[in-house]
Amino acid sequence: MDISRRKFLQIGAVASGSVVCAGVKPASARDLREPNPEWLGMLNDTTRCIGCKACQVACKKENKLPMESTLNESANVGRDVYDAPRGLSERTYTLIKMQQDEENGKTTFVKTQCMHCSEPACASACIVGALKKQENGAVAYDSGLCMGCRYCMVACPFNVPQFEWQNAIPSIKKCTLCRETKLKEGKPTACSSVCPAGAISFGKRSDLIKLARKRIEKDPELYQDHIYGEKEVGGTGVLYLARPKMQFASLGLPAFKYRTVAGLTESIQHRIFQYFIPPIAVYSVLGGIMYRNQSRKKNGGEEGGSHE
Amino acid sequence: MNKAAPLQHNFFTPNVWLLIFFMGSGAVFAFFRFFYGFGSITNLNAAYPFGIWIAFDVACGVALAAGGFTTAAIVEIFGRDKYHALVRPAILTAFIGYFLVGLAVFFDLGKYYNIWHALVYWNGTSVLFEVAWCVMLYLTVLGIENIPAVVEQFKGKVNLPGQMASFNKPSEWLLGKADNILNRTMAFFVIAGVVLSFGHQSSLGTMMLIAPYKLHDLWYTPLSPLLFLTSAVSVGLPMVIFEASLATVLFKRKPETELLADIAKYIPLFLGTYLLLRIGDLAYRGVLAQAFDGSVQGNSFLVEFALFAVPYFMLKRRKIRRDALKLFLCAFSVILGVVLNRFNVFLIGMDMGPEFNYFPSVGEFAVTFAFLAFGVFLYRLGVNYLPILEEQ
Repeated sequence: MDISRRKFLQIGAVASGSVVCAGVKPASARDLREPNPEWLGMLNDTTRCIGCKACQVACKKENKLPMESTLNESANVGRDVYDAPRGLSERTYTLIKMQQDEENGKTTFVKTQCMHCSEPACASACIVGALKKQENGAVAYDSGLCMGCRYCMVACPFNVPQFEWQNAIPSIKKCTLCRETKLKEGKPTACSSVCPAGAISFGKRSDLIKLARKRIEKDPELYQDHIYGEKEVGGTGVLYLARPKMQFASLGLPAFKYRTVAGLTESIQHRIFQYFIPPIAVYSVLGGIMYRNQSRKKNGGEEGGSHE
Repeated sequence: MNKAAPLQHNFFTPNVWLLIFFMGSGAVFAFFRFFYGFGSITNLNAAYPFGIWIAFDVACGVALAAGGFTTAAIVEIFGRDKYHALVRPAILTAFIGYFLVGLAVFFDLGKYYNIWHALVYWNGTSVLFEVAWCVMLYLTVLGIENIPAVVEQFKGKVNLPGQMASFNKPSEWLLGKADNILNRTMAFFVIAGVVLSFGHQSSLGTMMLIAPYKLHDLWYTPLSPLLFLTSAVSVGLPMVIFEASLATVLFKRKPETELLADIAKYIPLFLGTYLLLRIGDLAYRGVLAQAFDGSVQGNSFLVEFALFAVPYFMLKRRKIRRDALKLFLCAFSVILGVVLNRFNVFLIGMDMGPEFNYFPSVGEFAVTFAFLAFGVFLYRLGVNYLPILEEQ
């Protein structure tokens, strides 16, 4: 055959080279978008939480979520009981967890729920755009659009989206920021409005950051000088304050970097499909090779032109 | 060059009944999945939303269908006509593979009836969006690439019995038309098939990069798309060799050792490229040491690497390539390497914290085996009634 081994390698190198250049550029290529100051969110002050779980109950009531019986309480008590599941689930959008600091051994109550990220990884991952960041700052889920692929669960660094494993037709479930119920009426979220300790503040994200700063400045003994979620994973709508020396990681809030989670995948996707240049380039290169080979075959005559 | 012809063996052999048994048991578990939810049969949980159905049926399924585009590229694009006998079986296998990937996705989607949403509701930032489109388009292309075999078998011979006879003429017309059009346009589809394969073999490698805090350093690399692509290219020919060897034994055909040994010379070229990229990437990112830390992930990586490296050195030697058994074992090793690599990226390398664990349930295995059995069943159906394998 007429393509030498060297040619074959050359062509291969060009083809794969173009794919490489197109696909694998540093992740830093994508700029961080500034969080919108108008977005609504919540500030969870872990120094104030008393672990009463009123927020958990309010959330269940607001969202009409069924009760969970992890310890068979319903069988023992004769009715369902609001209990304490170990983690978020399709029936529990928010949960108070007691966390222990690895270094000083102190325990703290920490509220978990959807963080309503500024650049949600779930929304970036969703194949049909069923998860979207809303104007008001909530990351909303549209069960009618959803295909149930669960890629959002893979993408979320906080493991928030939950799947209805027991339903024949399952949906994704997570905190809605009371978007359809409370926010619509201009009211704060259910969990924040019932907190007896003032541990959950609701408001505009920009105001919450100001509030958090003020608390830190006013009482530097009580707080450490870090607002979790201000910058982590590109910023989140739910922010946290903690006592000094308390590692956020030990509060179940991992030490995530400041860049967005989906930065790498998005820049790779973007580059592979930028104006469709890479696929078209590969197509043309392959087309050229094929054309050359076929015309040589023709010129070489019917008998044996195609054999090495 | 020999002509391809249907085998026309007796179809329902004991082996086929075994396949039907596997398909049946998978269907029983599938019933529960569709009517009683994933929880009724799978071990999937909040931290492991993707289980064996995605890791094996989809990720490995796509990779192992790479025989289709690699042989098509070598023979049709790079003009190595002497391997022509390998193209049709490879294209048929790829078509079956992708068909099953589509089916597996359908099983794994919570709202399977919304599967068409991928066509209508676009989210360009999603890696899955690209995977879905490439799979759909490539499945179509593979379907088209298989039409010539159908045309060859039935053109001029359509003879439907009884009432159906009125369809004879339209069918003939359709076959003639397809033959005519495809003769002129096949080149377009062949290249499109290769480009689409490039596209989504690589984007499957992008998929888990959305989880930087979950995927282990040994696999979380910006080079992942290229690694997935090159490993898929590397496993293309081993799959062809694997299937041809099995077909020789199971269909009692004359061994094609000469041809297979000859085409196997390309494998070290592809494998070498892959291994070079893999090692280079690990060294560049400075995570090579993690492979030797004795963790499950580290050990899993070492096994994965060995499964690629051993056949690389073996297949460089002509003598080993000419030994049917050793060639088969080398091919099998590469296949296992790719399978383990996909498992590592999608399951073993994904760490969600100490609270969660995942091991596939009996039901999940049963469904996966059913897919495998269905694939073999379809292949058998194809080669038995269509001109796929060459006459001997």
